[in-house]
Amino acid sequence: MLQIPDVALAPMLPILIVLAGAIASTVLGFNLPRRALTIINLVMLVLSGVSMMTLWNSGATAFGGGLQADNAAILLGLTILVGSIMTLLVSLDTAYRARVSFPEFDAMLMYAITGTLLIAFSGDLIVMLIGLEIMSLSGYVLATLQASRRAEESGLKYFLLGAVGSAILIYGIAFVYGATGSLSYAGIAAKASGLTPANVGILVGGALLLLAGFAFKVALAPFHQWTPDVYSGAPTSVSLFLSTVVKVAAFAGMLRVFGGALADAPGWASVLQILTAATLIIGNTAALLQRNFKRMLAYSAVAHTGFLAMCLLGTPQAGGAALGYYLLVYTLMTAAALAVVAALQRDELGMEIDDLRGLYYRHPAYAVALAVCLASLAGLPPFAGFFGKYLAFQAAFQNGYVWISVLAALTSVAALIYYLRPGMLMFMPDRTPAREYPNGQRTPTNFAVVLGVLGVTVLGILPNIWYGWVQNPAIWQFLAGR
Amino acid sequence: MIHFMIFLPLLGSLLLLITPVRWREEVAGFFAAVTLGLGLAIWRAGGADLFSINWVPSLGITYSVALDGVSLTLALVTAFMTLIAILYASRRVANPGTMLALVLAMETGLLGIFAARDLILFYVFFEDALLPALLMLAIYGKAHRMRALVKFAAYTLFGSLLMLVSIIGIKSLGGSPTFALVDLVANPVTGPAQTWLYLGFLTAMAVKLPLWPLHAWLPDFHEQNHDSGVPDLMGTLYKVGGYGIFRFGITLFPDASEELRPILMGLAAFTALYAAWIAFRQTNWKRLLAYAGLSHMGFVALGLFSLNETAVIGSMYLLAFQNVYTGALFLAVGMLQERIGSLDTRVGGVMNQAGALGGLTMALWFASIAVPGFAGFVGEFSILLGAYQVQPWIAFVAGLTTIAAAVYALSAFQTTFWQGRPLGGVRVPDLHSTEWLVLGLPLAVALLFGVYSAPALNLIQPAVRTVLAALGGN
Repeated sequence: MLQIPDVALAPMLPILIVLAGAIASTVLGFNLPRRALTIINLVMLVLSGVSMMTLWNSGATAFGGGLQADNAAILLGLTILVGSIMTLLVSLDTAYRARVSFPEFDAMLMYAITGTLLIAFSGDLIVMLIGLEIMSLSGYVLATLQASRRAEESGLKYFLLGAVGSAILIYGIAFVYGATGSLSYAGIAAKASGLTPANVGILVGGALLLLAGFAFKVALAPFHQWTPDVYSGAPTSVSLFLSTVVKVAAFAGMLRVFGGALADAPGWASVLQILTAATLIIGNTAALLQRNFKRMLAYSAVAHTGFLAMCLLGTPQAGGAALGYYLLVYTLMTAAALAVVAALQRDELGMEIDDLRGLYYRHPAYAVALAVCLASLAGLPPFAGFFGKYLAFQAAFQNGYVWISVLAALTSVAALIYYLRPGMLMFMPDRTPAREYPNGQRTPTNFAVVLGVLGVTVLGILPNIWYGWVQNPAIWQFLAGR
Repeated sequence: MIHFMIFLPLLGSLLLLITPVRWREEVAGFFAAVTLGLGLAIWRAGGADLFSINWVPSLGITYSVALDGVSLTLALVTAFMTLIAILYASRRVANPGTMLALVLAMETGLLGIFAARDLILFYVFFEDALLPALLMLAIYGKAHRMRALVKFAAYTLFGSLLMLVSIIGIKSLGGSPTFALVDLVANPVTGPAQTWLYLGFLTAMAVKLPLWPLHAWLPDFHEQNHDSGVPDLMGTLYKVGGYGIFRFGITLFPDASEELRPILMGLAAFTALYAAWIAFRQTNWKRLLAYAGLSHMGFVALGLFSLNETAVIGSMYLLAFQNVYTGALFLAVGMLQERIGSLDTRVGGVMNQAGALGGLTMALWFASIAVPGFAGFVGEFSILLGAYQVQPWIAFVAGLTTIAAAVYALSAFQTTFWQGRPLGGVRVPDLHSTEWLVLGLPLAVALLFGVYSAPALNLIQPAVRTVLAALGGN
């Protein structure tokens, strides 16, 4: 057990451990092979998780509330770590085939994780912005790292649109600061209700700019256009990282800002419900038209953004709990599905949906695992995706957004269809030659897949294992800090 | 004991995956038989009382199960027909391990649907039964199964997701502490909100009844399924819409049920007649049986929606026992297909060489078109009797169905089993070994409950009275 020298260091420790891993990868990369670094980083991530758990219920803060390790931060941070661990496990097997197996890959990944944790632990807008930028910059590099035109295209798209998103976000921060004179969430929340009419206008403008900036990062329509190209162009292990960890972090930021700082501010909720509705419709219908499985999963990530955003429409207490549960489940099922793709794909284009025909008769375990993930993504019980969806529906319904929950129910039917096609093709007997990489089944990937599938099944049958931790409304009541 | 009965098939299905290939049939049969035995034991003990523990306490989701009255009747029929299905699948399907596992997994879902006394639990089991049904179609289906799969799944999910929204609404608007049925009944939703929530709930049940205009998945589902008819039998058992409306619909939405009564009765009567009319034009046995089943379901719905005691009893009776003879007919068609290699209704002359197959099929057809002396008659007659007291004209229209049923049933039977055997047709072997049991046992049950309905009525009647008593005065 580490001796914690200073009280203010304790809440920083989970982030510092990950940062230490990143620096170690940068420095030791000259001497050690990448696999060794990856294993060091895995240990670092586990240590970071342990140090987070010791902070449970402590409510520790640092830098006068700029960094807060409250229970919400810990729950979201653990979700981020689960996704990161699964990414590293998958990259152990597939980075070599994707031609990204060098130490910089690990370093960038760990820097990005540092940024994501910073967002989850943020107590004011500047810390959040720094975390977001660390995460995004590392993400741009990760998407471009592979020496191929597709990766370059994907990385450039990600960078250009991400930069626009960041710029809008910063502009929004400036507006909010201008209206309330404060950058800390608690300060904004305290001042948001008693503003002069002129300042209310500025605050609403700032909130909407922040919303647009975040919408870029989480891929809410109509700011989602980069998502499918980036996710399908980047190496699959990077897509896995971008679509799980980065999205979790961006939602953590949204939860902090809109569920905490701007919870009482007017205006943004009615815009968010329109963005959510558009995302549900566009994400789900576009996914219906895809022929490539990896690209379909990219659109499904957009569609899931819509379901996740429904949680934000709920009250912070109900919505935060729903989001806390859904994000972990989303991470597990998406990561496991992409891990199977990473293992079985012949190249980084992923697989065509038709190539999945008869997979059950060639790789029965992967086929069943993928089927479980798809069923869970579609929201079929007894898998955890069902409870996630249910919680999201409930959060929106109880806060008066009945039409959104009905719309979500209808678009879920489209979602079922596009998950069903690959899911069922795998079980159809097939006599044509196999079209997947024959030597894909490796232990670390298997471990990640088992983690995801077991998690999704167990959390589906006994949701209380995780929901019992996230359900306490007190956790989500003071997202802005006290 | 009730938990064993619900989850034993699932356990068996998982065990089948690690059972050596040569023992799989026996193991599956053993689990199905023990499940039926447990069901009978529960029946002897007078039903299983409500058992309720918290599942997800913070969300108010409970694990509440009970098997009594209507639920027990349906659960017993399900367990019995699953055993028959396994009996036939073991003989008919080459290397049947996967199919047997899926049949058993589906049985757990179905028993759970009948046992659930919590809305979320009901939803979970409702969807659980869907996955094995989809997989059976995907693995064993015919060339155009993808279309059928998508239709089947999309219709089902369309309904059940709307149901999920209204489940959330019932608890949220009614202010009930949990999703358990007793709590929801104690905290009812009133006014127009109740009607809207009922419509959401009804969509799911109308898809699964099925009821016109949400029935289009049914014929494709049956046509594209495996020739043996085993998945079709399980699909027939999965038509739980009538039960859902009885158990949750009428109890939770009493005002809306009365308000919408004429419209829903009209839809039901139309479904019955329309399906029978279409059935007459079918030349594929599976499609024919699908529409025949749809027509029965129109009757079930008519009885339910009329909210008349006699009619509701009749419709529960029909719902339970149509599983027996419609299911057995699907297996009989499977046997026919095995012998002549076709599902066409215009084969001709099968009776000359396979007298027993023809005879048993005819007897099951008679049960299906509600000839007195079979269980179907008790159900359909009570439904018409009860519905007549509520809406005489609608009951009259539905009554025309019995004539149409005789027409489609007898004409299809005539062109397949009578008429001349075409020259050069292969020799049709008659029933042998377990096939006698597969068709004989369901026929015996249909006959027994046609002439001696007391055991089933003793179960159904009190349950129906309790449910309708809550409506007040009807």
